Amino acid sequence: MGTEIEADGPALRFSRRERALAQMEAHDLDALVLGRQANVRYISGAPQLWVVGTRPFGPICEFVRETGEIHLNSTWDEGIPAEIPHENLYGFAWNPMTLVGILQNIKGAETFRRVGTDALTPMFAQLLPMAFPNAELVDAEQAMQAARRIKTPEEVAALRNALVIAEKGLAAGVAALSAGTNEKALAGTILEAEAAGGVSTPATQDAAWVTSKQHPWRRAEGDGRVRDGDLVVLSAGVLADGYVAEVARTLVVGEPTEAVTALYRRRDELWDRLVAACRPGATTSTLLDAYQQAGEALPAMPVAHGLGLGFDPPVVSPGLRATAETDVLEQGMVLALTAYVWEQGVGAVLTRDAVLITAEGAEILSTVPAYGEAVSG
Amino acid sequence: MTISSTGSGTTSSTGSRATPADPGVTQIAKTGYTRLDIPHEPDFARMRREVGARLHAAMAEQGVDAVVLLGNGNVTYATGISWPLADAGLSHVERPVAVVLSGDEHPHLFLPFREGAAMESGLPEDHMHGPVYLEFDEGVAKFATILAGLIPAGATVATDELTGAMRRAGGALFPSAPVDAGPVIGAAKLVKTIDQIACIRRACEITEVAVGEIQRSLAPGARQIDLSAEFVRRTFELGATTNMFDSIWQVMPASKAEGTWTTTGDLALPLLTTERELAQGDVLWTDVSIAYHGYCSDHGRTWIVGQDPTPAQQRQFDRWRHIVDEVLAVTKAGATCGDLGRAATAAAGGEKPWLPHFYLGHGIGTSAAEMPMIGTDLGQKWDDEFAFPAGMLLVLEPLVWEDGTGGYRGEEIVVVTEGGWMPLTAYSYDPYEVTDGN
Repeated sequence: MGTEIEADGPALRFSRRERALAQMEAHDLDALVLGRQANVRYISGAPQLWVVGTRPFGPICEFVRETGEIHLNSTWDEGIPAEIPHENLYGFAWNPMTLVGILQNIKGAETFRRVGTDALTPMFAQLLPMAFPNAELVDAEQAMQAARRIKTPEEVAALRNALVIAEKGLAAGVAALSAGTNEKALAGTILEAEAAGGVSTPATQDAAWVTSKQHPWRRAEGDGRVRDGDLVVLSAGVLADGYVAEVARTLVVGEPTEAVTALYRRRDELWDRLVAACRPGATTSTLLDAYQQAGEALPAMPVAHGLGLGFDPPVVSPGLRATAETDVLEQGMVLALTAYVWEQGVGAVLTRDAVLITAEGAEILSTVPAYGEAVSG
Repeated sequence: MTISSTGSGTTSSTGSRATPADPGVTQIAKTGYTRLDIPHEPDFARMRREVGARLHAAMAEQGVDAVVLLGNGNVTYATGISWPLADAGLSHVERPVAVVLSGDEHPHLFLPFREGAAMESGLPEDHMHGPVYLEFDEGVAKFATILAGLIPAGATVATDELTGAMRRAGGALFPSAPVDAGPVIGAAKLVKTIDQIACIRRACEITEVAVGEIQRSLAPGARQIDLSAEFVRRTFELGATTNMFDSIWQVMPASKAEGTWTTTGDLALPLLTTERELAQGDVLWTDVSIAYHGYCSDHGRTWIVGQDPTPAQQRQFDRWRHIVDEVLAVTKAGATCGDLGRAATAAAGGEKPWLPHFYLGHGIGTSAAEMPMIGTDLGQKWDDEFAFPAGMLLVLEPLVWEDGTGGYRGEEIVVVTEGGWMPLTAYSYDPYEVTDGN
């Protein structure tokens, strides 16, 4: 990260805005009013204070199609790119009417016909028409998802950088894993290594857990202590320069039993099928099918999701089967791909890697070693 | 946005005094100091019950029959579950959703079960549901079917977020347009139960232990980000669930003029942490927060790297403690945001001792900053009409500034009581000296 707060590079900023403008055109949007961190970063290219979790909708960043003007909620100009002038910055506001006033002053506000917001609250549904009296308020998240769906080369480079830090976190967790430690200490070690590596903004803080030997995907109940024979998931996720990297590995504590080795073999077979299914043109449901073909139960989590400045499309989950049957993998998508296998009395093995969809198929972006996992020949 | 206060608190007072050994605010303020019976260990079953009662009372008062909650902090509040929160970019897809119905003491909970998340909810099995994906039309269609079975026709429904897919679903999801859940949740959240206070106090204790170790080892050459790294490891070891925001260790400029440009012409805060190495004599304004069982700490002090304060710097602290003392002297149930703002401004010699883009103080709970905010663009009338109920929490964060000193900023969390306040922060002011008692 260095010692200065800087805007994202010009190539990254301009390539993203170009994709967003194309989607504004396609969705017939005159202006975007964005509140979600990922969308705000995508358009503005400005790092902002990282706060965990969902946040209520509010107008943080506005992007006008005709003028290309960007207005941004920032009290200072540190890290703000030159194309967002001082007069387009506005400070924190606690009174929503202050924000309405700011939106009213955007050049052309009274002429917009269609204004897209990436989420909404009932309160802002009432207030925004005061700023845009002639506009229909519509969803912009679909347009932003369409823009974010395919990564520009600069974005892939940013994701690779983020992965390096996540891998450092994972390596620290692996080094600290032994019988007698506990989940919290492991999570603390992983998060500490990510921060020391230069990224103090974790994408995930659920960083280490003992898998359950009794339940297919809940964690082991109890004191969080790691014991001999446990299968322990170490999961590192960072948000570096706005981009999310996630990698996860499962390690056995102590010597692997035959049952553990057999479970890793199942993971390997599933993983190979998942990677083989990552072909451009295939529907994302082929990833769900890969579980069935491997004879594995589908887990209660997405088996793949787009990586970018957060969750990007596609999100491939058994709960969204119909969506997956029409959603097509495309070159330039980056997925967090998850293999998950479980055995009664043994536990679970979870593996997650970042995968770039290329013309040839899947390129694994992360370079995590095998860490002495029981891997089949 | 109007957040109304609702009735008196659930806390009780025993009126005993601080011992001189207590570090922190009781060294500098005594008027109104109260001690409450806060349990050492929170009773989560009681917390869920009492919070549920508050939420249902607010719903009844505002004529809301059902509340659909998507926001992480609101779901934590309404259900009592907690989990290590994810980045904003991830958390709007895989997130728990809660549905609270009038006439049903238990909320319905829809859980994503990201990875192996443990969720001790204490809820009946028929109130626990699988994940819903409200970013997707397919997910919203499924959720609409479930809601139709839970919420009676003609009910007034409130929600805290409408995703694009929810908006596209229109009447198929909400037969009539939902109202904003903000006022209902805000009214319920305002007064904390003793178990919520116990959670926040524990979050503060964890934070203070970790921060204390960092401060003791603070030396020139350390990078800002190393402090963040140590903070997150230590707080997790001590039981933190989530790091709430990117820890701030802001090096203050020599003068306002040399500082970062701002929309207000005043100081910038908070500026982001980097790999910058700290130098001897740097004045740091710190600001960190973690959650314990879903409830947040908020901690801020001023540090000087590798040396003691100069007399001019010590005078900054003395001015700050005078402001805190004067503000706490008027803090009690029935006082208004306006009363505290006026006390602070008078103690600072007529200037508002907070940044124009922030506030003199704010509430705290499942978010590190929640209502009420004191001294913001909500305006003087709003401040004067917002009277504190007993059992409300405040984070007071005045600051003072003089070019050449790095100023002083610190945060103090108090519970508002019938007769005054009880501190939840218990952290020293080192390297500044508390020269005499008050």
